[in-house]
Amino acid sequence: MDLGSFAGPFLPEILLLAGTLFIFLLDVVGVRSTERVGAVAVAVTGLALLFVIADLGFAPLAFLATIPAGQIDAAGTGSALYAFTSLGLIFQAVFLLATFLVSLASLSRPSQDRGAPIFFGLLVLATLGMLLVAIASDLVFLLLAIEVTSLATYLLVGYTRKDPRSLEAAMKMYVIGALSTTLSFFGASLLYGAYGTTNLAAIAHVGGAGGVPVLVLLGYGFLIVGLAFKATLVPFHAWAVDVYDGAPTDVTAFLAGGSKKVGIFAFFLVFLAPILFVRTGTGSPFANGAIALGPILQITLGVLAVLTMTVGNILALLQKEMKRMLAYSSISQAGYMLIGIAVGTAPALAGATLQIFAHVFMKGAAFLLVAGVTAWGIGPLIDDYRGLGTRRPVVGVAFALMLLSLAGVPLTIGFVSKFVLFSAAVQAQGYFVWLAVAGLLNSALSVFYYARVLRVMFFEEPAAEKFPAGAIVGGSGPSELPAGGFGYGRAAAIAIAVIAIVAVGIYPQPVLGAIQAAAQHFVAVGA
Amino acid sequence: MAGLSGILEWAFLVPLLMVISFVVVGLAGTRLKRLEYGGWIAVLFAGAALVVGVLVAAAEMLSPGQYVNVQYTWFQLPPAAGTFPNGFRLVAGTLVDPISALMLLVVTVVGFLVMLYSIEYMHHDRGLARYYAELSLFLAAMTGLVIANNLFEFFLFWELVGVCSYFLIGFYYEKPSAASAAKEAFLVTRVGDVMFLLGIFLYFYTYALAGPGNGWAASGFVFTNGNQPFLAGAMGGNSTLLTVAGIMILGGAAGKSAQFPLHVWLPDAMEGPTTVSALIHAATMVAAGVYLLAVTSLFLGFTATDQLLIVAIGGFTTFFAATMAVVHSDIKRVIAYSTISQLGYMVLAVGAGFAMVGLFHLFTHAFFKALLFLAAGSVIHAIGTQDLFKMGGLRKPMRITAAAFAIGGLALAGIPPFAGFWSKDDILGGVYSQLGTHPLYWPFFLLAFAAVFLTAYYIFRAWFLAFSGDGPRDPTLPHAHEGSWVMQVPLIGLSALAVGSGLLIFWPNFQSLLLNGAGAAGIPPVFGPTDLALSGISVTLGVAGILLAWRLWGNGRVYVLPESSWAQPVRRLLLNRYYFKVGYDWIGQRGVYSVARAADFVDQFVIDGTVHGFERMFAALSERLRRIQSGVVSDYAAYVVAGLIAVFVLLLLVAPYLVTLVGGA
Repeated sequence: MDLGSFAGPFLPEILLLAGTLFIFLLDVVGVRSTERVGAVAVAVTGLALLFVIADLGFAPLAFLATIPAGQIDAAGTGSALYAFTSLGLIFQAVFLLATFLVSLASLSRPSQDRGAPIFFGLLVLATLGMLLVAIASDLVFLLLAIEVTSLATYLLVGYTRKDPRSLEAAMKMYVIGALSTTLSFFGASLLYGAYGTTNLAAIAHVGGAGGVPVLVLLGYGFLIVGLAFKATLVPFHAWAVDVYDGAPTDVTAFLAGGSKKVGIFAFFLVFLAPILFVRTGTGSPFANGAIALGPILQITLGVLAVLTMTVGNILALLQKEMKRMLAYSSISQAGYMLIGIAVGTAPALAGATLQIFAHVFMKGAAFLLVAGVTAWGIGPLIDDYRGLGTRRPVVGVAFALMLLSLAGVPLTIGFVSKFVLFSAAVQAQGYFVWLAVAGLLNSALSVFYYARVLRVMFFEEPAAEKFPAGAIVGGSGPSELPAGGFGYGRAAAIAIAVIAIVAVGIYPQPVLGAIQAAAQHFVAVGA
Repeated sequence: MAGLSGILEWAFLVPLLMVISFVVVGLAGTRLKRLEYGGWIAVLFAGAALVVGVLVAAAEMLSPGQYVNVQYTWFQLPPAAGTFPNGFRLVAGTLVDPISALMLLVVTVVGFLVMLYSIEYMHHDRGLARYYAELSLFLAAMTGLVIANNLFEFFLFWELVGVCSYFLIGFYYEKPSAASAAKEAFLVTRVGDVMFLLGIFLYFYTYALAGPGNGWAASGFVFTNGNQPFLAGAMGGNSTLLTVAGIMILGGAAGKSAQFPLHVWLPDAMEGPTTVSALIHAATMVAAGVYLLAVTSLFLGFTATDQLLIVAIGGFTTFFAATMAVVHSDIKRVIAYSTISQLGYMVLAVGAGFAMVGLFHLFTHAFFKALLFLAAGSVIHAIGTQDLFKMGGLRKPMRITAAAFAIGGLALAGIPPFAGFWSKDDILGGVYSQLGTHPLYWPFFLLAFAAVFLTAYYIFRAWFLAFSGDGPRDPTLPHAHEGSWVMQVPLIGLSALAVGSGLLIFWPNFQSLLLNGAGAAGIPPVFGPTDLALSGISVTLGVAGILLAWRLWGNGRVYVLPESSWAQPVRRLLLNRYYFKVGYDWIGQRGVYSVARAADFVDQFVIDGTVHGFERMFAALSERLRRIQSGVVSDYAAYVVAGLIAVFVLLLLVAPYLVTLVGGA
């Protein structure tokens, strides 16, 4: 195999690596302005995104395709470290999209801001790790890829170095992240002991027949805990709120819109095979020397899913600060996404994937908008957003659309994804129906805290008008918002997100169809 | 009339016109000061919608029994082996059939007249562009709901109706009471909405997965298959689940239509402008609940248990709400309670199996209720108070309003030949014919009958207090005067309808319209005064109520209940609305909110407390570790251990046990 045909499929990854190095090089030669460095990040992620979309079979871009068609969704040989699946490519696209939007929005930050090369360089580097996660087919490769992205994000959270809150958040994230990595690797080593391989396809081939029951269960147990941190599942969520709150808001947008999904996709990769280990019949799952691993894992993941969405929602209800509310809402969204793998059928995975895709536009963009609004001098409290909708209708309507989509209101992308996800759970029947019921009730509950923001934005008088300008009563924002908007980059990123929310909400079939087909292949290859 | 029938495919124009109106007025309204900030544009669009609505209704009435279904696939889920042979899709489409044509007529007529009336009534208010935009969207949502061809689309518009009502009830949002009323309406109907959603979910579950109903789910919940309605009987399905599904649908309808025990929001919704009240009470919001029940009854069917429950809720609400109307002094509140009571009649009719009769009452009620509200609005506009005890003698300066209110009152009281008589009599006759179904039908039938007397009494108490006597009891009130033609035209038009809409029942085509709506479901409709004795009793009760009202309040008299009277506690109970609101507030404050706070408490103290326990353990293990890390991080590390233990308990003990119980997937 010549270098060209080996490296070709990795063009997006190579592009990102080159981008990272180039950005750090720019730093060395003294080019540090936000616009110039950011432009590089926007360019490489945008270009990589086009490659990935071409590989997904989008006809108009076919000339950009880098992976030979035969290599996508090919049945696993049981030896390779990586495999190209169309679902993996969709996740690559999601990750690149998140980074693209965040870089685009960050172009609008003051050009003299210190640390721009570090910010954009680490952002691209973290994305590189995420792309590798999406093509992993080996446990060790997967966990190392997660490490690449994690190490970059720890630094991202604390990159400003001045803000003690960010530093504290970075420190927390690092300690927790290290711990979770340890647990994941420990689980992987137990699985190696049980199966004699760390290759996911090989484990799938062995199936329910092989493996030492205790080692298998312990191994998967440690992996659940380790990955649960990355995916912010309850009860491993506590760090996430402090980190989301403490990190610079554009970084938070990246964490919530992009890097968290790494954990969810890792769940897809690791747990699809064992969930398909089904032994029919009733009685103890440990009977006859083998384990019916599937149902045990499904119940465990299902309980975690319900716990995550419920606790996330209830705590979101009580938050007074915008970022913390959005952070808890992110946690509850992770619960919805986990339903996909707990059910483990192709439609459910498709629903979860669509939910993840949607989340980039809903939550990622929401944080980007909050960052922009904060730059105007609006405070951290939800009450500080009083009257924003009437003072800045366009911003208010954009934010409202994101929140409505998060709540799952029809004609937004959030409705379609929840609908597909919950109906897949119903379709799977049995106790999965309860996952759908829990999801429905949680969606209804979540409307309250989203609606509260809408009310504050559109129906309450700005506090500044109640108090004389400059008064610190109520700790609210400025009496006059600065003229002008967010800057072109941020406005463009938010506009893209809003268009996606509405367009896919009204006409979901193209995106939904692609994801459904990919999920079908993923399950067929994984089985 | 094949030519006119073509219009049935164009029914979507009605919501579309109102959406355009919403967009135009919303965007440009503030700049159109000359046109009442977009008010006249909204009137124009509502007029165009009215034309389409009338044409659709006419086409359906001239050749009754058409089912015209137009639809597009919105998105599709592929079939999966075993559980889901036909796949599933969501469609967007319109269905015009006898009931949607009838409803479309009601909504467009009342909507147009209210819009026109608003031009003068709202003239002095601020935020008019917002008002007309929201009113347009409200009408768009309601008409969209009426012609939705599937349950999901129905729900979509249903939610939009709820949101619009939230905005409009809270129109005077600077007023704390208005903001709180809007919130209350939103929250209470939200309870119903969640039940409705669960109901859809259960229908989906039983019909989509369990048997011959598969075709129904695959088609995307549509109400019709070609020109045949889908029928529950033909679909099979688990009857227990269907009963629960029916109860959930009833819950949704009870929320929107303010039925016991979710009735609390409607009287408080009076905080919105009177025009909005007229619309909500007559044609939009509350009608949606009854319409949902009727549609479900006709297309999906209720089980016998559900029917009994619906009869009980409807019959009880009819009486319950009427008692509260008897004591209140706010003219709008009296009418509000009467709405709840009248909606009870409609629900009762649907429960007894006469959905079309219930819709007939909805049809007549829409006109006379809108009339009563607009007449009340005319009074409020003229003298600026809603307190009946300050009014008096208004019949002299406001002849048209007084006559309009009297016509509305007579229709409400069920005095022939006014509209309310025909439809209410049909309901009572219908329920009477079904009394053999279950012994429990009896008490609710009697309650509904007794409410006839109360209805006549309270509405004429209001009329005598406002219009009879020599002059206002409060001499400080401004001199009353009639509004201009903009306000008079709707009053006169609705007065005509409050007389004529009931008489339509003698038109054979209208009869067969109702027959076709119901006949397909195999339900015998009841028309006209089937049982003369029954009609005689109800009219006698109505007249007795009016006479009592005249005896106590006529000619400017004011009846004061003696302090020592046995009835004082009852009066206080009624004035406090059976303490329902207090109770709900208590549940909200102490119940729901404290659950959330308890969860927070658990998160902060119980879990953190455990965590701190671990932390001390860690600290003892390594004092040095403690010095490097911040305390909070070691909290988290301890948290990890706790979570790890929890996951392993779940994975190794709980999940295998559950698998043993329920078997593998």
